[in-house]
Amino acid sequence: MNAQQTSLRMEGISKAFAGIAALRGASLEARGGEATAVMGANGAGKSTLMNILGGVVASDRGRIVLDGAETVIRSPRQAAQQGVAFVHQELTMLPTLTVAENIFIDSLPSSGPFIRTREMARQSEALLARLGCSIPPETRVEQLSIGDQQLIEIARALRHKAKVIIFDEPTSSLTGPERQRLFNVIRGLKTDGVVIIYITHFLDEIFSICERVTVMRNGETVWSSPISEVDPAKVVHLMLGVAENEGRIRAPIEAVGEPLIAVTGLRRDGVLRDVDFEIRSGEIVGLWGLLGSGRTELLRALVGLDPIDGGTISWRDGRTLAPIAPERLHAHVGMITEDRRGEGVHLPLSISDNIALPNLKSLLNKWRLIDRGRQNALADAMIDRLKIKASGREQIVATLSGGNQQKVVFGKWLATSPRLFLLDEPTRGLDISAKTEIMRLVVELAEQGCSVLLVSSELQELMRVCDRYLIISRGRLIDELPGSAGASALMGSIAMIDNDLEVAS
Amino acid sequence: MTARGKTSDFPLQHGFFVVFAIIFIFFSLATQHFFQLDNILNIFSAMDPLAITASGLALVVMSGRLDISVGSTAFLSCAIGALLMNQGELNPVLAAIIVVCCGALLGAVNGFIVVVLKVNSLIATLSTMIAYRGMALALTDALLVQLPPPIRFLGNTRLGPIPLDIFVMLVVLVLVHLLQTKTAFGRQIMAMGNDIAVARKVGLPVDRIGFFSFVLAGALASVGGILTTIQNGAVSPFLGSGLEFTALAVVVVGGISLLGGRGAILFSIIPGAFIFEMIRDGLTNLGADPYSYRLIGGAVIFAAMYADALKSGRYSMRRRL
Repeated sequence: MNAQQTSLRMEGISKAFAGIAALRGASLEARGGEATAVMGANGAGKSTLMNILGGVVASDRGRIVLDGAETVIRSPRQAAQQGVAFVHQELTMLPTLTVAENIFIDSLPSSGPFIRTREMARQSEALLARLGCSIPPETRVEQLSIGDQQLIEIARALRHKAKVIIFDEPTSSLTGPERQRLFNVIRGLKTDGVVIIYITHFLDEIFSICERVTVMRNGETVWSSPISEVDPAKVVHLMLGVAENEGRIRAPIEAVGEPLIAVTGLRRDGVLRDVDFEIRSGEIVGLWGLLGSGRTELLRALVGLDPIDGGTISWRDGRTLAPIAPERLHAHVGMITEDRRGEGVHLPLSISDNIALPNLKSLLNKWRLIDRGRQNALADAMIDRLKIKASGREQIVATLSGGNQQKVVFGKWLATSPRLFLLDEPTRGLDISAKTEIMRLVVELAEQGCSVLLVSSELQELMRVCDRYLIISRGRLIDELPGSAGASALMGSIAMIDNDLEVAS
Repeated sequence: MTARGKTSDFPLQHGFFVVFAIIFIFFSLATQHFFQLDNILNIFSAMDPLAITASGLALVVMSGRLDISVGSTAFLSCAIGALLMNQGELNPVLAAIIVVCCGALLGAVNGFIVVVLKVNSLIATLSTMIAYRGMALALTDALLVQLPPPIRFLGNTRLGPIPLDIFVMLVVLVLVHLLQTKTAFGRQIMAMGNDIAVARKVGLPVDRIGFFSFVLAGALASVGGILTTIQNGAVSPFLGSGLEFTALAVVVVGGISLLGGRGAILFSIIPGAFIFEMIRDGLTNLGADPYSYRLIGGAVIFAAMYADALKSGRYSMRRRL
């Protein structure tokens, strides 16, 4: 490795949030004229590392060396001054302003009090021409597609004479042609000697656009090499680590009988397509795919949180399987997401109030007011059944541990007696014993006849409980594996490169 | 790129001008005096204080905030000026300068409360609206403060057939318009009105920009107050009372979105102010019940707000796509 060629080095970067280590001596090396992919599963620490480079958060330890000189970056503004630009997944466009104004907004070229509009337009045109596009600089940004807006964002980075450009999931909302255009832009930037850092969940993209790959896991950098030294299966293996077998909680069962829910041809343009599957009663089905594969989107579409553009969802009501609208299905389903603070519980309320919320109708007395006694009885029953560790039903949920908060979420939905649970990373951020408790609970639900569709980034976790796996990639179910499938088979299944770049539509 | 300005958008995009034309034609046909040069000039002259005050308020609205203290700011700053002239025998020009400085200072207080103390702008300016008016009433003992005789007649000055204050209004509005559309400060106000979080992320000094938008709103409110005072020859205890809401209505009716980030001063404020003054004038000419003005004004505000809500609904749909 030639040290003089190296443009960017991050060494020994550590960062803890509220005492929990997000990064433990992570490192990154990237060179001008190359694109370096940074890969890692949910929570591996790649966003934290990039936020440190972009000046969004400060590191606790470690150093950043840019062009051979140690650099201090304490704010996004400082990062820009040092030549580090961050193209966020959420674009920072100002829709009612023009293209030129958006590119120059933080330092509008002026002579006297007035902006030099023509000069600004000329420079904008030149910057956009470098990106191979010819959007008129007077166009209002709100009239542009997301793909075009992203180019404006890149043009803004170029205006700051960026030496390093971080792309955070740049293709997640682009159409196929827009994606190809972005790749051409990145290729152009590489010829200009810019250091490209490329973050994505799409494996195929890194093999078509990146020269180097860095893989992170649990806050550490576990691999760094030219892309030619790895293949997709290797990258997945590095991202997920060696699957330690913690032992199954329940041996896979082969569910028989009629399906509880059957989905055919489910489609949401640009997100999901051709989704067909069935789940039987008492079955735990793992939805296995990388982040960004459409797994969360599938759960949301099923219960109408996102609109669908086609397909049928059929639900067993009594003896027949009849089509049902997603919004109606929501009433039969317990949905638990990783964002328990945002979507799961009301932190300032008590356990009792939280559990009562989705069940208020069944707690009314003859005056149509809430029957305190029944609410308390319900809360006590759930605390007992789920073994929630709390001083009592009146304890405020904010003061509970993460695992017990998640149990409260389960309790809320259990009382509505749903027949299907959709679980999206239900153990995210919990410690090992709490994770095991939640997984035991999932098995218990299945034993009682509930069906479960489970999403998890941790393969080990899925392998402890699932009876069957659906493999999802780019919004499509690409494979199905039995519960007996081993870790290598499951990893291999998502490492297949999907050459068909269009997600849907 | 998506195409805009389809024919189906026409009534929505130009609804204001349709309403404007209908009202204008109605008054022209229904009354004898309405459609005469003198009367039209009268409307323009009468709307001047409103238009100038609204232009300052518009800057705050474009930044995504509100300032409902402008009426009280006009009253308090003019009361101070008039008292200084009467009791301190101050030179009128100097008094005018002091009035504008007072307005800027009162605006700065608003800016401080909103930007530094981080109080919601509606609540902050609601409290100063009440407080400023209270201070002014205490200073004037809630009595009429007459201007000294030579200035009292300034209100009738004309340049040829055109009242002088129309020129004052045009100059002020053009300056504010240039500030908003052609300077970095103006564009950064618009950027802030788009999304203050994004503007901050991009590195704009949103606190400073927000503060100065309030200072300007205060200063321009006091300029509007000076014109009212000169037109009336006195500072009345009702100066600027209700002005904040009429000014806000002018801003919105003219097409400046309350959500911020949209609109241009000159093309919004002049038609917006004109329509309100035109309705008042037309109803007077009709000999209508003086209170009917409020009902019709309210209906116009509602129609404008509803069109704004429809429009911004469409914009946000477009943004999501």
